[in-house]
Amino acid sequence: MHLLPLLALLSLPFARAASDDAAHKKLVALAAAGGGLIKLDAASYDLLTTPNRDWSASIQFTALDSRRRCSPCKEFEPSWSAVAKAWTKTPAVHRDTHFFATLDFDDGQTVFQKLGLQSAPVVHIHHATEGPRATGKTGVSKYDFSQGFDAEPLAQALSSHTPIRIPYSPPFDWARWTTVGAGLLTFAVLLRFIAPILQSRWTWAISTILVSLVMTSGYMFTRIRNSPWMGGDGSWIAGGFQNQFGQEVQVIAIVYGTLGFAFTMLIMVIPYQATAQRQRFQIYLWSTIIMLVYSILIVLFKVKNRGYPFRLLL
Amino acid sequence: MPTAFPLPSDLSPATVTNTASLLRIVALSLISGAAIASRLFAVINFESIIHEFDPWFNYRATRVLAAKGFYEFWNWFDPTAWYPLGRVVGGTVYPGLMATSGVIYNFLHALNLPVDIRNICVMLAPGFSALTAWATYMFTKEMKDESAGLLAAAFIGIVPGYISRSVAGSYDNEAIAIFLLMFTFYCWIKALKLGSALFGTLAAVFYFYMVAAWGGYVFITNMIPLHGLVLILMGRFTSRLYVAYSSWYVIGTLSSMQVPFVGFQPVSTSEHMAALGVFGLLQIVAFVQLVRSHVSSKQFQDLLFVVLVTAGLFGFAAFVGLTYKGAIAPWTGRFYSLWDTGYAKKHIPIIASVSEHQPTAWPSFFMDLQFLIFLFPAGVILCFHQLRDEHVFVIIYAVMASYFAGVMVRLMLTLTPVVCVASAVAFSTLLDTYVDAAEPDDAVAPADSATPPESGATAKKPKKAAPAAPSTGSALSDLVAAAVPNKKKGIYGLDTRFAIIVNAVGMLAFFVFHCTWATASAYSSPSVVLASQNADGSQHIIDDFREAYYWLRQNTPETAVVMSWWDYGYQIAGMADRPTLVDNNTWNNTHIATVGKAMSSSEEVAYPILRKHDVDYVLVIFGGLLGYSGDDINKFLWMVRIAQGVWPEEIQEPNYFTPQGEYRVDEHASPAMKNSLMYKMSYYRFSELFGGGPSTDRVRNQQVPKVGPTLDYLDEAYTTENWIVRIYQVRSEDLLGRDLKSANAFAKGKKRKRSKPVSRRRPIL
Repeated sequence: MHLLPLLALLSLPFARAASDDAAHKKLVALAAAGGGLIKLDAASYDLLTTPNRDWSASIQFTALDSRRRCSPCKEFEPSWSAVAKAWTKTPAVHRDTHFFATLDFDDGQTVFQKLGLQSAPVVHIHHATEGPRATGKTGVSKYDFSQGFDAEPLAQALSSHTPIRIPYSPPFDWARWTTVGAGLLTFAVLLRFIAPILQSRWTWAISTILVSLVMTSGYMFTRIRNSPWMGGDGSWIAGGFQNQFGQEVQVIAIVYGTLGFAFTMLIMVIPYQATAQRQRFQIYLWSTIIMLVYSILIVLFKVKNRGYPFRLLL
Repeated sequence: MPTAFPLPSDLSPATVTNTASLLRIVALSLISGAAIASRLFAVINFESIIHEFDPWFNYRATRVLAAKGFYEFWNWFDPTAWYPLGRVVGGTVYPGLMATSGVIYNFLHALNLPVDIRNICVMLAPGFSALTAWATYMFTKEMKDESAGLLAAAFIGIVPGYISRSVAGSYDNEAIAIFLLMFTFYCWIKALKLGSALFGTLAAVFYFYMVAAWGGYVFITNMIPLHGLVLILMGRFTSRLYVAYSSWYVIGTLSSMQVPFVGFQPVSTSEHMAALGVFGLLQIVAFVQLVRSHVSSKQFQDLLFVVLVTAGLFGFAAFVGLTYKGAIAPWTGRFYSLWDTGYAKKHIPIIASVSEHQPTAWPSFFMDLQFLIFLFPAGVILCFHQLRDEHVFVIIYAVMASYFAGVMVRLMLTLTPVVCVASAVAFSTLLDTYVDAAEPDDAVAPADSATPPESGATAKKPKKAAPAAPSTGSALSDLVAAAVPNKKKGIYGLDTRFAIIVNAVGMLAFFVFHCTWATASAYSSPSVVLASQNADGSQHIIDDFREAYYWLRQNTPETAVVMSWWDYGYQIAGMADRPTLVDNNTWNNTHIATVGKAMSSSEEVAYPILRKHDVDYVLVIFGGLLGYSGDDINKFLWMVRIAQGVWPEEIQEPNYFTPQGEYRVDEHASPAMKNSLMYKMSYYRFSELFGGGPSTDRVRNQQVPKVGPTLDYLDEAYTTENWIVRIYQVRSEDLLGRDLKSANAFAKGKKRKRSKPVSRRRPIL
């Protein structure tokens, strides 16, 4: 009677295969029910990430409940759903070998604890361990959020783990193109009326000056680095030479603009004054403004560059 | 006519002209002297040495050129760079800089002046800065007059924005490129003003020189067509424009294609298409103008207009179609990242990682341009006031350059000339107005009742009125001719003049102090040699880089391959004369990523990579002991990112942060960080220095673990005095075929754990 255990042992792989098949069917059904996205809890998480699987899965860990106050989660959620939805458009042969799933913190705290996750959102990719798509990788790949929460880089990154590329294409931006179209139309209609403004050199002069003032005040720095408008502690000027807040752009542009305007007054307006008295008054007025504002500028610069040895009035 | 102060009346006009011209020459030579002298801080404070990174390659190439001649240089294949790939230097370099030094070298030697090639290379940038001052003088003279030109020359001579790239020893392409840029622009303006094919050709010749010297020539390639296009759109097409542009474009493009590195780009890449498009447009416009002058029918003129627009649209469609089909290469990443600023970070981290490619915060603008930065809008307004063809150029230049300078720190260099020109125009107009002795005639004032007494509204008035006034020449000619403008204009009294002039001179003096301070303190460091101060205030030179490079040069075989991060490739090749895997010519991203992978992986993973590339020595820069912040641990994340771009599976940036998302090197550092080759090489035996006390990394202000990392596959070969450079030798395979880790463990007498009996018979690596 030694045969029986042996038989049982022999049949074990088959039994396991059968149960895996059942699990797979269940997952397919779950995915279909959720519109391509499986909403997980602790139990189905274990099912999805069972060690013997011939499917792969990408799982989003999130905390959407408003009590959790996870604004990045909410920001990322639409992108995740859009990519998961795009995956449903692939043929069933491929579709059913990769699953998209979401585990909310409130549905599976134990899983979060088990994985030691302290922040959300997190995306894990589990590779297939058996079958034709087995990669031999047992570990979990993580999605790197360095490119933001947008759907496009996400789809691109996940595509390297799916059997075929995720057919994601960004939705047509109706609002944007309508605005552009409407703007062009308005421009064409109003062209007759605004033509004199457009042809005036001073319109162009003002826009040129504004552009160069804003650019030389570090506007592009704040755009590229996504600088905050002001510091967390309420300060509006950032310490450090290679750093600045959004508000500094305005202050510096105004300072430069005031100084430039004062010089323009001295050069272009004051020589044409009618009486000596008025002219004298204006000359002293603008000279004082120049000295004062320039001193303020130096003070601001000293905040940024502590080693600056010079100062004016202030 | 009343004057504010007495003027000599017995001077003949000839005397005035001659004196003015003599003064100009004296002033220009003094400006040249000041421009050269202020760039010598680096030589005086340190020594006559080549600075930074790229100049070391230029210097090495120039030495080849001087020693072996131009032909050898042209065909030079460098097998030691990008080991084992090698680099075709002649075809991948802008040869203008080296050729210039080579010509100077041969010229001096023909005169029997045995000047060392190194000194020529060191002094080239200051020498050319004097020429830049002269070119700026010529350019500004076309905008306003000689006095503005002199001011502009003085400004650009000492402004830190230009000095930062042209101190003695900064032997880089920009050293000669700014002179070429300004002189090409001057020739272009002159050609446009005169309608002269001669100046158009001159512009093309200097454009060719510029193409041969600096990749930034694309700025000219797009500025001149843009100027032409705007002039056409403003309805200012003239035959002068046609002649100037056509002669510049045809000769300039044909000659620029002679530079091997540029090749067929002028007819096949998007950056150059604007120039071609405007050239085509000009032909059509010229044709239409010609037909128009011979035909009177209104309908036919309308038809011609339609033909013009259709041809333009058709050309544009053809351009788009060709780009789509691949006949015209789309914008290169470097160029594209100027417009879409997020592009580089996403797709080409190697470009985003360079510190020169970072965006500019406002203090940099003020540091580099000081009071010119706010005088510059006033100058642009004055350009709008006159708005001749050449002023349009300055306006376009101002807008484009301020945008580019905001996006990339290094493009501050292209903004600097226009800022100098525009603010010189403003400043000299200010001085002209307030130095001029003529006082407005009060007797006329009541009669001239057209001027409304309300001064608040006068802001608009003179602007409209001014163009009616005869265009004012220089102050001197005003003075001589004593021409009274129709409109009452002038300054009353002496005190007002005095206030403005004192103010202005004070600002100039402050500017000089600022420039001297900025040059001396910020821009004159060779970065090969560092300076610090002793407790008594005397200077202490930190010479770790050269110490390490000379150690390599003298203690290793000539074929020993040195691996380091790409920043140090040119220096190793130049000073240590050893083959390197990667260098600052970042042409092969995969190769750089390989180095990044080796640095950011564990020893076991890195070792096969090192062996496959025949690496004998690994060199890392470590600033933790001294507080030198530009070290490899601070650059480490870029290595990880670049490696991740090629091996996203194996290297992942988040693994190098703590779970809290911090970048740490102390005991809380992530395992991937602690096991990485870079971390181990940086902190190997670091804690031993502190003799059991807390060992602090002074760059990151963190305490590194007391038990430092151990190395199994590398041996420490050399560490410099201040630990800035650390060199490790890669071990060769174990003679008994064990892996080096277990061999080491055996040598240390450690018993193998029983759970691992298999490792006794590891296969040979």
